[in-house]
Amino acid sequence: MSMIEVSHLPKEFHLGALTSLRRSLANAARRLSGKTVEERPAFKALDDVSFSVERGEVIGIIGHNGAGKSTLLKILSGISDPTGGSVKVNGRIAPLIEVGAGFVPDFTGRENVYLNGAILGMSRAEIDSKFDQIVEFSEIGEFIDTPVKRYSSGMQVKLAFSVATAVESEILIVDEVLAVGDVAFQRKCLDRMENLINSEGRTVLIVGHGIRQLERICSRMILLRHGQIVIDGEPGAVSKLFLDETTLKSAENALAAGPQPLRPYKDSKVMEVTSLEIVGERKVMDATVCPLMSDLHIRLTINALHPIRNAEIQIGLHSPEMVFMTKSSTLTLPDPLNLEPGINHIELVVEKLAFCPGTYGVGVTVFDWARNKIWAGNKLRWVLVESTAEQAAKLPNGTLAYLPSHWEIARGEAP
Amino acid sequence: MLSLIRNLYRSRTLLMTLAWKNVALRYKQAYLGVFWVLLKPLCLMVIFSIVRSFIGINSGDIPYSVLVFTALMPWMFFQESTSEGVVSVTGNTALIRKVYFPREIFPVIAVGTKIIGLGVNLVMVFLLMAWHDISPGLQALWIPALVLYVSLASLTLAFFGAAMNVYYRDVTQALPVVLSLLMYLSPILYPLHLVKEKLLVQQIAGPFSEWYYRLYSMNPLAGIIDAFQNVLLRNEPPDFASMLPSALLLAVMFPLSYAYFKRAERFFADVI
Repeated sequence: MSMIEVSHLPKEFHLGALTSLRRSLANAARRLSGKTVEERPAFKALDDVSFSVERGEVIGIIGHNGAGKSTLLKILSGISDPTGGSVKVNGRIAPLIEVGAGFVPDFTGRENVYLNGAILGMSRAEIDSKFDQIVEFSEIGEFIDTPVKRYSSGMQVKLAFSVATAVESEILIVDEVLAVGDVAFQRKCLDRMENLINSEGRTVLIVGHGIRQLERICSRMILLRHGQIVIDGEPGAVSKLFLDETTLKSAENALAAGPQPLRPYKDSKVMEVTSLEIVGERKVMDATVCPLMSDLHIRLTINALHPIRNAEIQIGLHSPEMVFMTKSSTLTLPDPLNLEPGINHIELVVEKLAFCPGTYGVGVTVFDWARNKIWAGNKLRWVLVESTAEQAAKLPNGTLAYLPSHWEIARGEAP
Repeated sequence: MLSLIRNLYRSRTLLMTLAWKNVALRYKQAYLGVFWVLLKPLCLMVIFSIVRSFIGINSGDIPYSVLVFTALMPWMFFQESTSEGVVSVTGNTALIRKVYFPREIFPVIAVGTKIIGLGVNLVMVFLLMAWHDISPGLQALWIPALVLYVSLASLTLAFFGAAMNVYYRDVTQALPVVLSLLMYLSPILYPLHLVKEKLLVQQIAGPFSEWYYRLYSMNPLAGIIDAFQNVLLRNEPPDFASMLPSALLLAVMFPLSYAYFKRAERFFADVI
């Protein structure tokens, strides 16, 4: 028998849900007199969601903000009612939706353990028997009889997490709790979650943004978009789809915003960049197309107002999320670079551009002899790396770059 | 009605814990503690006694101050428990949005924990009675039943008000007005037997007098206050005839109010 069975679940919110008393009364009167009621526009937070969860499964639910993840968890834990469809839950559910919801600042840690335990559905005897274990896990120690308002926020969260995971329920619902406390405690939380899952065989539903962490713990993942299930399956495949989607989305946003203008750096009166050109035949929106594995030519024109001795120029390529993939520096030249007053033409060739197809930004930084920045800018131009159909068919996915490499495969006798 | 009791029994740990939280928080940093419970009715008692010296209210053979304090005891309970009950749901937004448990716990706790204050005031009534040499009789055994009855009256208003308040915060504003009007419609400043005398004996409203009296006793507080005075001060049983209209009203309204609360409850988390 499935632990959770959800079929054709919608959840609608009415936009501007609170109408005035007058309109509500008017609507009620119309309803009573059999006339049609004026409909408010509805927003579908969940749209025809169906899935089932078997005993011992660990389901990760991912999606962008507003995809309906928390709404789904709220419905499963009974906090909110669905607009239709059916939800069947067999077994006791412990909702860990945002830990520490019921903490009272004026109460001591001990009192809050009892209060929060009761809120999560534990009986008095249950809390008594688990009290020491909870305190030990939380690392609160001697502060257990101090009012919680004097705790650091990390301590509060640790205590809350410890109480929440002590609940003995068949189904555990977790929303974004993995990112609590310091790194050491996060590690401990993850271990605890894994322990609950592996040795105690609990059924768990987790919602979160830490895709890599979720991928590791979950046995199955569900990707939601605009309240609909996009994909429900093996964690690797789901998280890949989600990450690709995210990358694509930020590339689109970057392109839509266009390149940054070449504006003077702070109030530096030493030099200005007059032009920055990416050599290429085609453009898609503002991005110059560069075929995968071909050379990329970047031409920079600098108007120096004074002689700049022993300067350094760095040109780099970065992803739309501002992760630099490569940077080149003039310091690798045999002689120091001197910029003469007037126009200086500089060209950089990035050989055999081997980035994963996508959009990349160009960043330029210029330093003087003391390595102080005298000019800097990112997202100045966009480059679109494109693969041919033949390349696309052969190259593996899920990487940022393809460095030049070769294979050696030898055959030997069977031992 | 049965489902209310079943839900409360199932979440008894939570009910007791939250009730303890309520009481503990109320007195945690207030050094005068329970004294505050006594202060309000005592002040009103003094004011009413002064007012009475101008307008002259016949209190029979019982000292007016004791009569007023005995009336104020259930009234204060009713007033405070409904005010707290009505805001009890909106005051727990964090919990409502994060965890599910039967929501009726909030109004029930708000009303239930006020019984402590009622108990403190009851002790004060006994002290006043001792001062004026009035000894309680066996009829005082009615008190637990009367407390239950006035609690039901409070809960009826609290369930309905708390659910309404989630959608329309106007309720928070309107309630004090309604309650202060209700205070003058209840036999606190004046005893119930004066109302009876005017309407039932002297028939001052002509042929409608009896209807007016029935209307007056639709207010549950009318019967309750008189009953408390009867059983404590006069050692007489409650006047069931004057409690009947309000008892019927409550018998209808309480299930309705609870049903409304449960219906609205499903959307609390979305709307609050």
